[in-house]
Amino acid sequence: MKNLDSIFAAYLFGWAVFFVFYLTVAKRASALRGDLDRLKDTLNRGK
Amino acid sequence: MLKRGVIGAAVLFLVGAAAYASFYIAPEERTMGAIQRIFYFHAASAWAGMTAFLVCFLANLTYVLRRNQKSDWLGVSAAEVGLAFTTVVLITGPIWAHPVWGIWWTWDARLTSTFVLWLLYVSYLLLRNMLEEPDRRALLSALFGIFAFLDVPLVFGAIRWWRTQHPQPVIMGSPGSGLEPTMSKVFFFSVLAMHALMVLLLSERYRLEKMRGDFQELQREAEAR
Amino acid sequence: MATLSNTAVLLGKEVRTEFRSRELLTTTVVFIVMVVVLFSFTFDPTSSESRRFGPGLLWLAFLFAASLMLQPCFLREQTNDTLSALRLSVSDPFAIFLAKLIANTLFLFLTEVLMLPVFAVLYNVHLLAVTPQLALVLFLGSLGVAIPGTAFSAISAQARLRELMLPLLLLPLLTPVLIASTEATAALLEPNPALRKDWLGFLATFDVVFLTALWLFGEYLLEE
Repeated sequence: MKNLDSIFAAYLFGWAVFFVFYLTVAKRASALRGDLDRLKDTLNRGK
Repeated sequence: MLKRGVIGAAVLFLVGAAAYASFYIAPEERTMGAIQRIFYFHAASAWAGMTAFLVCFLANLTYVLRRNQKSDWLGVSAAEVGLAFTTVVLITGPIWAHPVWGIWWTWDARLTSTFVLWLLYVSYLLLRNMLEEPDRRALLSALFGIFAFLDVPLVFGAIRWWRTQHPQPVIMGSPGSGLEPTMSKVFFFSVLAMHALMVLLLSERYRLEKMRGDFQELQREAEAR
Repeated sequence: MATLSNTAVLLGKEVRTEFRSRELLTTTVVFIVMVVVLFSFTFDPTSSESRRFGPGLLWLAFLFAASLMLQPCFLREQTNDTLSALRLSVSDPFAIFLAKLIANTLFLFLTEVLMLPVFAVLYNVHLLAVTPQLALVLFLGSLGVAIPGTAFSAISAQARLRELMLPLLLLPLLTPVLIASTEATAALLEPNPALRKDWLGFLATFDVVFLTALWLFGEYLLEE
């Protein structure tokens, strides 16, 4: 197939964008979940 | 948790199927050859991005009129997801153009308009970063978002019109050129798959925003004690 | 109507404030002249080149100048919190916006008109025959810049890095105005000048769309 490397590059870079977006969201979410759980613990202990 | 995993897998399957269709079901295009197959990925991303921005606009309107936090969460999530899809359009466009025209950028009407669209929503996100107080941030960015979305048809219209008077090479085939029936079906399927991906990313991003909101609420409760 | 009379009073205040010192007008005109002169170093200003690049550079200079000139619009209402006083003095907040945007349009239009002879001389273009048509293009274009500009001035005044935020918010949005105004201006500088009613109609549409948006949402922009 002619220009296969260009098609490959297009799909690769395109999927990289979606992947990076998803990963950054997931990473922030798990960090936040950790903080959220710790805060809930602190509040419950204080009760 | 399992439900999310299953839905995620289903979306990935759909997207994979669309990619398969782009390569093995869609016929080869006469003039450009295989490189044209990028179109299914490129144009479908453009449509999904636009839908995301429409969601952002509706969320902005709802926030201004009702002032519910969820609309603000939806607005920023939709803007970020829309920007991700628009970025893909801006990356795949030049990768398509280069083998065909020998240059990376031709100031083609649709790609240029997409670039301005990208700049508008980058400004939206930057504005949010520059406003610290949450209610101010939500209201003012929503108002800017409304103005920005109203501008979108004007931007696309002006650039298209301007380009008909100063023609340049067109990357994706002129708006008038029709798609052969099989190509249309593959394109429609790609659009569907990209929208499924968009909804998936949007819901993940929204969950993050909601979590952030809950966290801030809990912090306030902790400080109150 | 109360709104119109409020607008007239506020407009009088805006114009009087500016003409007392004229500092905004003079600094803006000087800025545009500087930009136009600097632009001239980037290409060879023969007559045909000037006709090709001149209109675009002129409108670009107007856009940059406007994004600076619109900064004080709501910023100056923050000292002594005169914005609260304004809000209390009118029944319809749109009157505040209307007054400011008419004033801004006027000031922009004035600086552009003052620029025209300088532009004609430096870039060797003939403007005298098409002055009334040019004035129409300048007016519709200035309106197009002033309407979103006034709205975003209210937004950026409340943000950090406000001097950067206003151009950042305004310039991408004004792409249609830049294109339409440049095309209309270029057509008037051709050897056979023509008034591009299609581009002027487009500019008018842009103005109506954003004026309506400002009318519908202006009050929220001024919320406490």
